[in-house]
Amino acid sequence: MTASTLRDKREIFRDELVMRDRIAALLSGGPRTVPELAEALGRPSHEVLAWVAAMRRYGRIEERGKANGDGYFAYALKG
Amino acid sequence: MADAATLTVTKDPAPGAGPTLLRPSYDVLVVGGGIAGMESALTLGDMGYKVLLVEKEASIGGKMILLSKVFPTLDCASCISTPKMAATSHHPNVTALLYSEIEGITRDERGLFRVKLRRKPTFVDWAACTGCGECEIVCTVAIPDEFNANLVARRATHIAFPQAVPKKAVVDRFGTSPCSFTCPAGVKTHGYVSLVRAGKYEEAFRLHMEDAPLPGSLSRACYAPCEGECTRGTLEGTVPIRAIKRFMVDRYYAEHPVPEYGPPERLRPERVAVVGSGPSGLSAAYHLARRGYDVTVFESAPLAGGMLRYGIPPYRLPKDIVDRDILNITALGVEIRTAAPVRSLAGLKADGYDAIYLAAGTMEGARAGVAGEDLDGVTDCMGFLKRASGPEPMDLAGKTVMVIGGGNSAIDPARTAIRLGASKVVIQYRRSRKEMPAHDWEVAAALEEGVELQELKAPKRFVGEGGRLKAVESLTMRLGEPDASGRRSPVPVEGSEQTLPVDLVVLAIGLKPSTAPFAGELALNRNGTVKADPETLATSLPFAFAGGDAVTGPSMIVQAIGQGKRAAFFIDRFLRGEPVAGVRFEEPLPVADKAEVVARTPNPTPLPAARRAERPVAERVTGMAEVELPVGEEEARQGAARCLDCGGCSECHQCVQACPAGAFHFEMREQKAEELVRSVVVSTGFKLFDARRKPLLGYGRYPNVIDAMEMDRLLAPTRPYNTVLRPSDGKAPDNIAYVLCTGSRDCTVDHRLCSRVCCMYSLKQSQLILGALPLADVTIYYMDIRAFGKGYEEFFQQARGMGITFVKGKVGQVDGRPNGNLVVTYEDIEGGGGKKRMEHDLVVLSVGLQPNRDALRLFPDEPLEADANAYVREVDEDLEPGRTSIPGVFVAGTASGARDIPDTVLHSGAAAAQTAAYLKRMERGR
Repeated sequence: MTASTLRDKREIFRDELVMRDRIAALLSGGPRTVPELAEALGRPSHEVLAWVAAMRRYGRIEERGKANGDGYFAYALKG
Repeated sequence: MADAATLTVTKDPAPGAGPTLLRPSYDVLVVGGGIAGMESALTLGDMGYKVLLVEKEASIGGKMILLSKVFPTLDCASCISTPKMAATSHHPNVTALLYSEIEGITRDERGLFRVKLRRKPTFVDWAACTGCGECEIVCTVAIPDEFNANLVARRATHIAFPQAVPKKAVVDRFGTSPCSFTCPAGVKTHGYVSLVRAGKYEEAFRLHMEDAPLPGSLSRACYAPCEGECTRGTLEGTVPIRAIKRFMVDRYYAEHPVPEYGPPERLRPERVAVVGSGPSGLSAAYHLARRGYDVTVFESAPLAGGMLRYGIPPYRLPKDIVDRDILNITALGVEIRTAAPVRSLAGLKADGYDAIYLAAGTMEGARAGVAGEDLDGVTDCMGFLKRASGPEPMDLAGKTVMVIGGGNSAIDPARTAIRLGASKVVIQYRRSRKEMPAHDWEVAAALEEGVELQELKAPKRFVGEGGRLKAVESLTMRLGEPDASGRRSPVPVEGSEQTLPVDLVVLAIGLKPSTAPFAGELALNRNGTVKADPETLATSLPFAFAGGDAVTGPSMIVQAIGQGKRAAFFIDRFLRGEPVAGVRFEEPLPVADKAEVVARTPNPTPLPAARRAERPVAERVTGMAEVELPVGEEEARQGAARCLDCGGCSECHQCVQACPAGAFHFEMREQKAEELVRSVVVSTGFKLFDARRKPLLGYGRYPNVIDAMEMDRLLAPTRPYNTVLRPSDGKAPDNIAYVLCTGSRDCTVDHRLCSRVCCMYSLKQSQLILGALPLADVTIYYMDIRAFGKGYEEFFQQARGMGITFVKGKVGQVDGRPNGNLVVTYEDIEGGGGKKRMEHDLVVLSVGLQPNRDALRLFPDEPLEADANAYVREVDEDLEPGRTSIPGVFVAGTASGARDIPDTVLHSGAAAAQTAAYLKRMERGR
């Protein structure tokens, strides 16, 4: 992970409004971790975490259970 | 003091002097609502002094409320802060003025302080707001959450943080976004763009309909001044606003072939006649019908739509879109009578119409004054376009067509002629291309399609035979001196006559208002346009208003739509008997500063310009198929995601609809206020060291290098993630490093002081991490551990006992690895010496405290002195803590130096005592 991969946070956060529907579509198939979502979306995992965190904050998703053996939580659609 | 507490604000009776406060309204002004400000205010309030506490944020609490716990007791920071916040908010002697900033404090000859305040608009009625947070959920603008150390997004409409006191919403509005501000129809462009970005397409359409009822036509044929003002245009190119609108409209119209609504309740008894069914008339009819009026539109042509129907060719604006747009108006019960020319406005009045909106447009072509103009085969652009879009368009196969003119009205007939089969189409213009009023992209499109451009040519005469046009004799022109418009005048070149055989001439040298029938009853300008008040659109007839091209001359359809909306507003007032003159129509916030917008994102990601897809030339010239191709859902949303949210809030008004309390009021504006106080306590707090200033430590380059405030947020119960996670990928870290003294005792960043707090807060966080992540390893790289306060040494020993590793050594560099881990390079002082490296999966930079220099700018006339480190100077720190260089001004907490929370509370108490003593001395005249 190098400096050139990091985007301005404003840009990343703005993208959440577009990416949240894609993430929701992926999660409709079952819970996924941030790296799994990042791979499916083809986007950097630190950006995906930012989107996941905002979706969680505004009640669209929630974590499921404890972290897996690698330390990652799985997220799922709420309700 | 007792007198002062009961003193009231009075006004200066001196005429012309303006309102001036003569007597103090408060004993003490406390600047800043953090723990120091709250402690000072509460102490002074308990003593009976009247305190005004001014806080720039929407909640009191400062930074302490954002912390996880406090050291060394590991008490919950919220549990300690919130009672103080509630007490401050409810104390009978403390008035907390939130979301307000001090513009300046001056001291008068009596020693009283005049405080100029700016109350920022919250756009929310806090008395009504219940803090439910529904507005945040629906808001479509994401902004870094400063209360979560920018680790997560918040919304433009937001509650500061969960424990905010008061827990009320505010809307971040930095001005009106340039796209919305510039729209002549007042369309909330930023709003519908942000709604499309958020996937709320129907809501986007409905928002547009609040202001303009012809979104389909605008999505095709608007010249989009919004795009011209788009700040993104200063980067790779404008947000494709019109394409986004087209996506929004097409999707909506596909799902709703007819409007979802029917006629509204007839709220008003009056009837209104609208003359002209062009964009302005339709807009006025729509807005009047929504206000409950009975509206009839009179149209002289066989079909409704005016310029939309007849003036804009179908390849730019398909007529089925116009038809669907018009349903938006007729669904409200508006009757459109076609082939019904109006000859007299007074006649309409006599027919029972209480008010009239004249929007007859400019549907006639201007004459050129060239010999042979009356020949068969010479027509004007409107006549040509009307016939071309009618049931019997002319066949131009094999014909030569010459269009005279250089404006957009020349381009449309030329491109239409190509589509009708003309073998040669020439646009003749008397100046050069760069002077052409037509949009350059329209000229380019015409040239692409095979139109020839004759620059610096003008017709001398139209040559006929048997009354039929045969040729055009033209003169070459040269550009002379600039005329009144600033453009260089074309001057004929003697003897330059040339003749070209031409079958059809289209004069496109201007359009005339269709106002001739009303010349006898209405004041007109010399060019035939209606004389109307530019603000109210009132005419010389009291019951008649006029707008659109009939008033402005040829303009943009969006301008005409805006005039229709404006007319409806003033006609409504007129019919209600309310004043019309002197009333302002729509007062948006000032336009957002583009330079500030760009500065918010200093390193924008380079993007290619948004694609603008068009039908291939070979395909377009064979018929009237739409040239511009639509964008799909993905492209529309990605295009909308380019929006920089210039104004902050997009005015999508989702919050307004979601709020169960009806608390949103976008008409709120900033208020200025002035207060007179007897003393001031400065408690403006500190700023955190910006770790970007130590670039070798990787902050801002590697996601897993964070500062200690970010870690405190991760540890707090109101954390941005579900637990402590590393920002690179959401992994729960298990090997965390702390780099103490980041930016402290460091001459390279001009900060020689010890932070005083980073040792202890790092110990605190380390212990909390072990509580949250029991299997994690925590390593603290330190130069020295300062455990100077009560219980601090024990706290240090407790940390050691929990297994935290302490490495005495200065960290010089942090490097990232592909898996997100970080390699810390440090000088090992105690473990054998030398440069060493250690890998961790999260690095926390324990940044120090820095002075908040804002405090030094509070007193423009009498500088508040600073110490050598730019903190507010205490003139006698040992004996009179809190006293500053200005009599009557005291400083509390970290505004005067780096302090931890216990010391801040102690210092604030001392400052309050000093203030009370000062006030007592004032009362006694000493």
